[in-house]
Order: sequence, then structure tokens, then C-alpha cells
Amino acid sequence: MSRPSPLDPLRSAPTGTLWWRHGKLSLLLLRAPLLAAGILLLALLMASVASLMLGSAGLGPWDAFKAAFGHGEFATVFVVQELRLPRLLAGIATGAAFSLAGCLMQTLAGNRLATPGIIGIDNGATAFAVASVVGMGISLAPPVMALSGAVIATALAFGLSGGIGTRGYRFLVAGIGVGALFGAGTQLMLARVSIDAANSAYPWTVGSLNARDADSLTWLGLALLIGVPIALWLGRGLNTLRFTDRVATGLGQPVSRVRLITLWLSVVLTAAAVAVAGPVGMVALVGPEIARYLSRHKGVPLLASALAGALVMVLADLAGRTLLSPQEIPVGIVMAVVGSPYLLWILLRSPR
Amino acid sequence: MQAEETSPQVRRPRAHAARMTHKVSGRLALRQVMPLACLSALLTCLASLLWGAGDVGPWQALQVLAGQGSDQARFVVLELRAPRTLIGMVVGMMLACGGALMQVVARNPLAEPGLLGVSAGASFAVAVALLLGMEATGMHVMVAQSGALLGCLFVMSTVRMSGARQDPVRLVLAGAALSSLLVALTSLALLIDQRAADEIRFWVIGSLAGRSLEALYSSLPSILLAVLLTLWLARPLSAMVLGEQVASGLGHHPKRVRKVAILVVALLVGAATALAGPVAFVGLAVPYVARALCGADVRRTLWLCLPLGVTMLLSADVVSRLVVPPSELPLGVLTTLMGAPVLIAVVRARRLPTL
Amino acid sequence: MTVSSTAFTARGMTRPAWLKQGLMATLAVALMGASLSAEARSVETAYGELDIEGTPQRVVTLYEGALDVAVASQVTPLGTVTTRGGDGVASYIQSQVPDIKIIGTPREFNLEAIVALKPDLILAPPGLDKTQYQLMSRLAPTVVPSASALSQQGWKEQSRVYAEALGETAEAELETRLAAIDAHAARLKAEMTTPETASLVRRMPGGLMAMSDQLFATGLMAASGYELVGGDLVKPGRPHSDPLSDENMARIDAQTIFLATMDDSSDAAVDALAAEPAFQRLETADRDSLVGVNGQLWTSASGPLAAEALLKDIDRARDDG
Repeated sequence: MSRPSPLDPLRSAPTGTLWWRHGKLSLLLLRAPLLAAGILLLALLMASVASLMLGSAGLGPWDAFKAAFGHGEFATVFVVQELRLPRLLAGIATGAAFSLAGCLMQTLAGNRLATPGIIGIDNGATAFAVASVVGMGISLAPPVMALSGAVIATALAFGLSGGIGTRGYRFLVAGIGVGALFGAGTQLMLARVSIDAANSAYPWTVGSLNARDADSLTWLGLALLIGVPIALWLGRGLNTLRFTDRVATGLGQPVSRVRLITLWLSVVLTAAAVAVAGPVGMVALVGPEIARYLSRHKGVPLLASALAGALVMVLADLAGRTLLSPQEIPVGIVMAVVGSPYLLWILLRSPR
Repeated sequence: MQAEETSPQVRRPRAHAARMTHKVSGRLALRQVMPLACLSALLTCLASLLWGAGDVGPWQALQVLAGQGSDQARFVVLELRAPRTLIGMVVGMMLACGGALMQVVARNPLAEPGLLGVSAGASFAVAVALLLGMEATGMHVMVAQSGALLGCLFVMSTVRMSGARQDPVRLVLAGAALSSLLVALTSLALLIDQRAADEIRFWVIGSLAGRSLEALYSSLPSILLAVLLTLWLARPLSAMVLGEQVASGLGHHPKRVRKVAILVVALLVGAATALAGPVAFVGLAVPYVARALCGADVRRTLWLCLPLGVTMLLSADVVSRLVVPPSELPLGVLTTLMGAPVLIAVVRARRLPTL
Repeated sequence: MTVSSTAFTARGMTRPAWLKQGLMATLAVALMGASLSAEARSVETAYGELDIEGTPQRVVTLYEGALDVAVASQVTPLGTVTTRGGDGVASYIQSQVPDIKIIGTPREFNLEAIVALKPDLILAPPGLDKTQYQLMSRLAPTVVPSASALSQQGWKEQSRVYAEALGETAEAELETRLAAIDAHAARLKAEMTTPETASLVRRMPGGLMAMSDQLFATGLMAASGYELVGGDLVKPGRPHSDPLSDENMARIDAQTIFLATMDDSSDAAVDALAAEPAFQRLETADRDSLVGVNGQLWTSASGPLAAEALLKDIDRARDDG
């Protein structure tokens, strides 16, 4: 294989990449992540169609498609447009946000298990969102409260990582401790409020897409609109975070700034997603894992992570809606049942 | 076992010296520490008798303890608060000793039954039994213990698998994953059968409120068995701390010892869960403090776990009664608030204390 | 039915227009109602006036009190929610709605299942949140009563709102029944020469729960002459019930203690409570004061049929006592 030396101008695309050149502009893309994103997008499309079709009353794909655009019988259109479509969108948005946040956090911490859910950020956001729902303390909207909770939990987890670094398992267990504290706080609040208030906070404690708050969803959409481009723009900088700071700086990356932006992005996305769906942290573990597998561990698969997270979330919610119908299984429980064994498997499989 | 040392060459002599002094001071300490620990246990017992949800205040309760006081106050203190205190004492001791034993077997200072999914296993088993229509209260102890045993076996088998033994922290992660799986399955059971929901909810939260002495009596045989087995285990276990070859050389059978120890952990934690529901972090915080006070020796740790376990559980219970009278806070929440900082402190310690 | 047909004509609308569409549907109903010479009734709900016309045929109830009113006026709802902590409807009303479809729990409804029933009237619980209300209103007129369940008479107001929505026959039927219930309670009260004390508690695995005195059941107890005890244990912030410590057992001490369980185990619960030392020390109550009752009826349900059944329970307790 003839590879051009680094000093030569690029004559042909290196293996595993796509390369466009137009005059002085050139674009070099890794092929594997792109391919992965393509596969995931296709799968997400199929899952979306399935989730529009399936439910209490099954629809054919064509009927579902027509109904999504407002054609067909009233009941069908209503079910698809008002119930399944918003829920599907919420699933895609939360899944993408959780998973992207997970991928960012993993890259930042240099630790594939360091997802916001495991290091306690989900629980922090939940505790504060629940406080807002049950009307304790300052009555801010859930997304704002979730963000403040997430920021505090993040500050705690990273603050505590001071002497131990973020790369090892210790960081994670310190995070589990932080999460346990916030979880206890949530329990404490739920034990103190009336049954009705506790019931209305219930979706936030298990993670559900059934009772979404339209405002929170708007906030999440905004967060994604701003966050995804920033994340993709960070892409190369994130790649270099894997190296030591000196190497990264040598490669021309303002390391501390990249870190700071990555951290904020991850926290904001997680908080916005928690405000919509509650703590479904397992998505942040499973999504990036799938993305990395499909993109053969090349680069930081941000786009693929977001897509994989959306796919997993949509499938989990679909399962939760249909398995015990008319009773719903909250998506958080489905994800825990699917994701925990997966986490165990990762832990047991990977050698030190 | 050497837990995690970034630069063993540099640090080992110092660490070794530290351990030596630790042991010496520990040996000296037990005689000094034990009375103090017992005193603190006594004080929390007293507090548990003095404060309650009702109208009988500390002063009246003191009068009762002095042999006076009104009939009503006597009843409240002796018939209501005393049994609850007794149950709390037993649960605290069981959880603390279960944690200490599990840590020795897993050779891991973070091996806590609540964190590793043992309590969650017990709760899950009870939830399934309730779903299948079982009711008798006596049954719950057995069911909870078998669930605890399954959780134990599972988590311990992960210890044996690839590399997790070299890394104490990874075990905790595996345990957290197992817990979250079991908790999710329990919630699922709660969803499937609404009728059992009230009953199951108790098994998810954990509390000493409304537990009768009958429940304690029905778990007495298994507690007795666990105590006997622990007495038999103490010597071989402390030999095993020196290494399995040493233990074999001294005529013990490490494999058998480990199996029996796991059985004891399941008996203790299962019975405690049957009595009070899942109560996390007692099995972590108490042995940690015990070891910090008087060294890593198994027997000393176990002895010290008895009064310290009582102290932690009862103080959590007293606080749970005092914060929002006349109602109570869930006990498990308070032990978590007390124990989670210990967990963080342990992982943050420069080198994990070895066992 | 007119309402659903107007909804059908509205199907081509785009999503952002649905608020406006609700208004238009209301207007259309009013117009068509006028043309069909049947007068539209205006029902006062928590979300404003709601015009309903004709006799609804496909009713879905999302609240136990609404199910009760519907069944009382010979309307069989197509779907309903389970009773609190049960898998089906409350046992007191079970035999009258054998084929009813369960479309959720008091905590969560399955909207798709509601759509599948093609309702022309949805009787929703008080306090239904606005998003859900707007969504359901697109399916059928949705009635959310504004009266709180947390007062002794609130259930009557709620029942009247539901009955109004169900039509004139239902309204007349309800008034007759309410009058009979009041008469029954008044008779019970008159029979009681000296006022007796009574309390209502629930038995849970973790112990007893004291019930608020501002509830459907405690209201009927008061109406039948009982002097309520222990309701003050439930603080205003916790409207329904609160765990009762054994130490505070004396606070519910009364000549009659109604002991509710959510399943059929009330006899066992009576035995268990009677055996408890804290109970045995009560000054007034003894084993005969304990009346085991069904919690699905006493602590979850409301409505005229529930009231009749509950008063019968009180009758029985008096006869035994």
C-alpha cells in the first residue's frame, strides 16, 4: 500500500477515508463513521415507521404514512399525528441528546463507562426536576431546575475526581455515590408530598415518554439544534483529547477550551433530556457503544452516537408501549432491563 | 491483596510500614475502642427509646426507664419502642456483619450487599413470590434469603470472572448494574400486578415502622445458623486474608470457606431485608469505620461491627422519626445519606485499603 | 352523534390550529344542535363552559366517580380506569359493568385505547392537566369537574357535573338518588340518639394510614351522625391519608373504627389489628368497634352508587353493633 508521506500534499485518499478536493478546499472524512451513520439512519427510519404503525390499534405502513400527513380516518389521523408522532419525536430527541451527551462525556473523561447516568448527573437533574414538580423550593420550570441539578451533580462528580482522575473505575464509583445521594434526595421529597403530587412526579422518577411536557420538549429541541452542530464542530478537537494534553496542544487544539465546551454541552443535553423523559441514562451507555462498534472504533462517532441513541430510545419505547398493552411499561424500566445486562457484559468482558 | 497502586516501587515500603503500625495500633485499639463503640450503641438505643412519633416525650420515657411513669408511657416505651429498637439492633448488626464478611470473601473493601445487588435480589424474590400469590409472613424470610443468595452468587461469580478481582472498583460497577436490573424488574412486577403494589412498595423502600416481633422470631433460626457458621468461619477467614496458600497450609479449605461465607452473607442480608426492606450502605460504612478504628483483622472487624451497626441503623431510624413528626421518612434514604459519602471517601482514598 | 361528526369534518386541519378548532367544533355543535331542534346543554367545567348536545352513546370514564354516575343513570361506559391498587373496577360496581374495557390506571391513561373506543363523551377526573385535556377534547367533549374531591360534599358537585354532561335523564336520576342518599343518611343520624364517635383508617403492609376527614367516605360518616375522630392527623399539605404510628393509635380511638383494606382481606385485618397491643390499650374501642370495610369502596370510589353501598355498610355495622 503506498501511503503519501505526511510532508507530501495528499494525492489520493488514505484507506478508510473519503476525500473531496475542489480547488484549494478539501474535505477528508473517515468512511467507517459515515457508513455507520448511514446504517443507523436507515434503522432509525424503519423503527420510526414501526412505531407509527404499532400500538393499541395496528396500522399498515401506508395508512400510517398517510395519517402522518393528515389523510385518512379521523381516529387514525389523531392517533398518528397527536399521539404517536409527538411521542416518536420526543423519543428521537431524548435518545439523541442522552446518547450524544454520553459520547461527549466518555470522550472527555477518557472512560467508556463514564456516562452522565452512571456518574450521577441524571439523578441530580431528576432530583431538582422533581423538586420543581412537587412544588418545593423555587418554582422554576423543570428544564431550568434539571439544568441546575445537573450542573451541581457534575461539579460534585468532577470536583471529587480531583485526586483520582477520571479515567479509572474509581471516578465512576465516586459518581455512583453522588448519584445515590441525589436519589435519596428525590425519595425524601416524594415521601414528604401528597400522593397526587407524588403521582405527577412519577414519570420523572422512572423515566417515561408518556407524559411529556411540551415546553420541556421545545427546550430540548433548542438544545439539540445548538448542541449538535457545536459537537460536530468539536469533532477533531475531541479526537485529540484522547492524547495527553501536551500532544493535543501540540496538534493545535486549545485543550482546556475544548474540554469546557464538551463538558457544558454534555451537561446541558442531559439536563434537557431528563426534563422531558426523566432519567433514562442507560441510553447514554448503549447508544455510543453501538456507534463505536459500527464505526469500527475510528474517531469519536458523535453523529452515529446520536442516531444510535435515538434508535435505541424509539425501540425501547415501542416495546414499552406494546408489550403489556393497554398497560404501559415506562421506557426507563425497559432501558434498565435491557441496558444493565449489557453494562454487566461490558464490565466482565473487557480485560483490565 | 494489592488493590491499585500507581507506582508500586516507590510506594510499597511506606505502605507496608503504614500497615504494620496500623496493625499494632489496631491490636491495642480493640480494647479501647470496643467500650466506646458499645457506649455509642447504648446511647442510640436509649435515644430510640426516648424519641418517638407520639406524645410520650424524652422526659416521660426516662421516667419509665427509671421504673416510674404513667401506664400509657410505660406501654409506649416498653411495648412499642423497645421492639422496634430491638429489630433495628438486629438488622444493623446483620447488615454490618454481612458487609464485613462479603468484603473479606470478595477481598474488596467496597463489596457492600446493598450496592452489589444482594438486597435488590431479596426484594425481587419477595416481589415475585407476592405476584405468585404467596402471603404468609414467615415465608418472606425464606424467600428473601434465597433471593439474596442468588444475588450473592451472581455477584461473586462476576468477581471470579475476568480481572474483576484485581480491580475492586469494577465489582461495584457490576453490582450497580445488577441492582439496577433487579430494581427495574421489581418495578415491572409492581406494574403487572397493581394489587400487590402496596405490599411490594414496602420491599422497595425499606423501613422499621410497623414491623412486629413475630417477623423477628420467624427469622431467628436462620440468624442463629448464621451466627454459628460465622463462629466457625472466623479462624479460616482470617487465615485467608494472609493468602489462600497460607490458608491451605494451615489446613483450611479456601473454596469451602468461601462458599459457607457467601451462604452466611445471604442468610444475614436476606433476613435483614425481610425485616426492614432494602437498607443500603450500612454494610459499607460500618465495616469501613471498624477497620479504620482497629485494623483489618476479620475477627476484630466483626466484633466491632456489632455495636457500630447498631449505632448507624438506630441513629438513622431515630432521625427518620424526628424530622417530620408525626410521620416518618424512609429508613433506606437516611442510611444512603449517611453512607454514600463514605463510599466516595473510600474510592477517593489514595490507595484502597487492602483486605 | 353530532359531536363526533363535527370532529370528523375537522380532520383536515393542521396541528397548530387545534385550539381554534376546539372553538369551531363547539360552535358547529351549537349550530347543528339548533338545526336539529335539540337544545345544547352548557356544562360548567374546570376549563370553562362546554356545550354538549343530545344523549351521548359512547362514554369513556377516566375517574371512578364518573363511572359511578354513568352506571347509576343506566349508561354503560365503554371503557374506564382501574380502581386504585386493583386490576379492574371496584368490586361494588363490578357486576354492573362486566364487559367494560380497562384503558388505564388513575395514574396513567392509554390515549390510544381511548381513541380506539371512538368515544363521544369523556368524563375525566378533576385536576386533569391542560395538555391532556386539550388532546382529549379533540376526540370528544371532555368534562373535567372543578370541584375538589377533598371536601365532604365535593363528590356531589362532581357527580352533578358528570350527570349534566350525560343528559337530562341522568340529571334527574342523580337528583333522585342524591335525595334518597341524604334521606338515608338523615335516618341513620336520627336513629343515633347520642352522637357516637367514629374514625376511618386504612391498613397497609407498613401499618395503619389515617384518612382525612375531608373525603367522600368521611363526609357520609359525618352525615350519618358520627362524630369524626382522627381526621386532624392528616395535615392540610397531605390531602388524602398519612401513615399512623402505633404510638398515636389513641388519636383514632372511637366507638366505631372503620378499617379499610384494598383487597378482600378486611376480616384478617380486623383480627390482626385487634390482636395488636397498642389497639388493645385503647380506652373506647374494642374488637367489636372494628368494622372491616372494602377500601375500593371506602377510600377510592365516590358517586351515588358508592354512597348507597357505603351507607348499607354503615347500616350493617349498626345492626351488628
